Amino acid sequence: MRESEQGLIAHIRDHSARLAEACTACGACYRVCPMVARTPALAGGTPEAVMAGIRDILRDGTGTTDAIAFAGACVRSGECTAACPERLDAAFLMRLASLRVRGTLGDTPRVKTPHDPRWSARVKAFARLTMTEEERAEWL
Amino acid sequence: MAMTADANVTFWYGCNMARHGEIVRLVTRILEAVGVTAAPAGGPGYCCGSPQEANARIAAGMAARTVEKFNQAGRDTVVTWCPSCHMNMDDLMAPVTEAAFETQHITQLLAARAERLRPLLMRQVPARVLVHAHHGFHGRVPVNTDVPMLLGMIPGLTVLDHPMRVPGHMCSAIAPKPGVLAQAHRDTLATMADVGAETLVTILHSCHRDAVALERGRAIRVVNWVHLLAEAMGLPYTDEYKLWRNADDPRAAMGAERIAATGDAAFDQLVEPELRRAPTV
Repeated sequence: MRESEQGLIAHIRDHSARLAEACTACGACYRVCPMVARTPALAGGTPEAVMAGIRDILRDGTGTTDAIAFAGACVRSGECTAACPERLDAAFLMRLASLRVRGTLGDTPRVKTPHDPRWSARVKAFARLTMTEEERAEWL
Repeated sequence: MAMTADANVTFWYGCNMARHGEIVRLVTRILEAVGVTAAPAGGPGYCCGSPQEANARIAAGMAARTVEKFNQAGRDTVVTWCPSCHMNMDDLMAPVTEAAFETQHITQLLAARAERLRPLLMRQVPARVLVHAHHGFHGRVPVNTDVPMLLGMIPGLTVLDHPMRVPGHMCSAIAPKPGVLAQAHRDTLATMADVGAETLVTILHSCHRDAVALERGRAIRVVNWVHLLAEAMGLPYTDEYKLWRNADDPRAAMGAERIAATGDAAFDQLVEPELRRAPTV
């Protein structure tokens, strides 16, 4: 495993553990999240139970169906951070949970990640349309 | 480390901004006008890793390579555009690969130099604008207040305030969620009507590339905030992406010569389907 990969995995694990320990699963973040009302899979979720499941995901657990759905619904609105009574960076906590349910650490993905397999080729194709040859040589 | 009055920075425009070369060009000219020499850098070779975030090996490799390239460039500030890149640098890149530079968002830099920018905004830009604001990213960088402040310096332009916010940090984040982007656009159009705005101002590139299609069949204008600063400064530009996206026939609008330069297959498979996509509303 490369140093960069080891470093990223350790960083995600360390901060997952730290934030899971500090989070009280009060559910304040869940209550203000604009995606809850827009995510049918969360219709039956209760804030405290969902966040207990998020803490479990951050501690290498399996989480709950609702917690996985909440992590998968995160679009980084960031309203959670301002709402957290513990003054945690709840947006980062949710980012870490989101990465983990997507399989970033090598686990089986529990949430499908939107992925454009031709992203790089698409970016380069548009660059050929909007940038001069000289600009592409200098900027890309 | 405070940026000096005349500074030399890297302008990290991200990857999908390659659709909007004129914005990259305009940003460098605006920065130059306020005393900042900017070297643009972006595209897949400067990836933050987020397009491959479900795979730590690939994402970490991309991120480390990008930080190392910025370190080698030797400039003490990397000015960001893309919120994903900006947050990835703070959260996952610099903590893993030591960065020999500071990161600052373009809106923060221009807000800090607002008094150098103000006298350059000489031309009237008559418009009543609503700023397309998301919930996200503002908690990290105050884009939802800095962009209206910058636009407010433009003569003839009125920024109309409204608390409506779109979920997510930019539109590409909500696009995969069923119905969310379409509802956001409907809410945005309703808000424009409520406040009497005829111009929608996008802050970020992924919002811009989708929102421009809202012009179709409506008496509204969709522009990026950089376009408006450029108009006030008298800097010429053409938003070609918008022209192509809203053309009845993007092929005809682009012309055979440019399609050939892109590569016929690349145009057919990578460009045209996006340009022909119906507005998400």
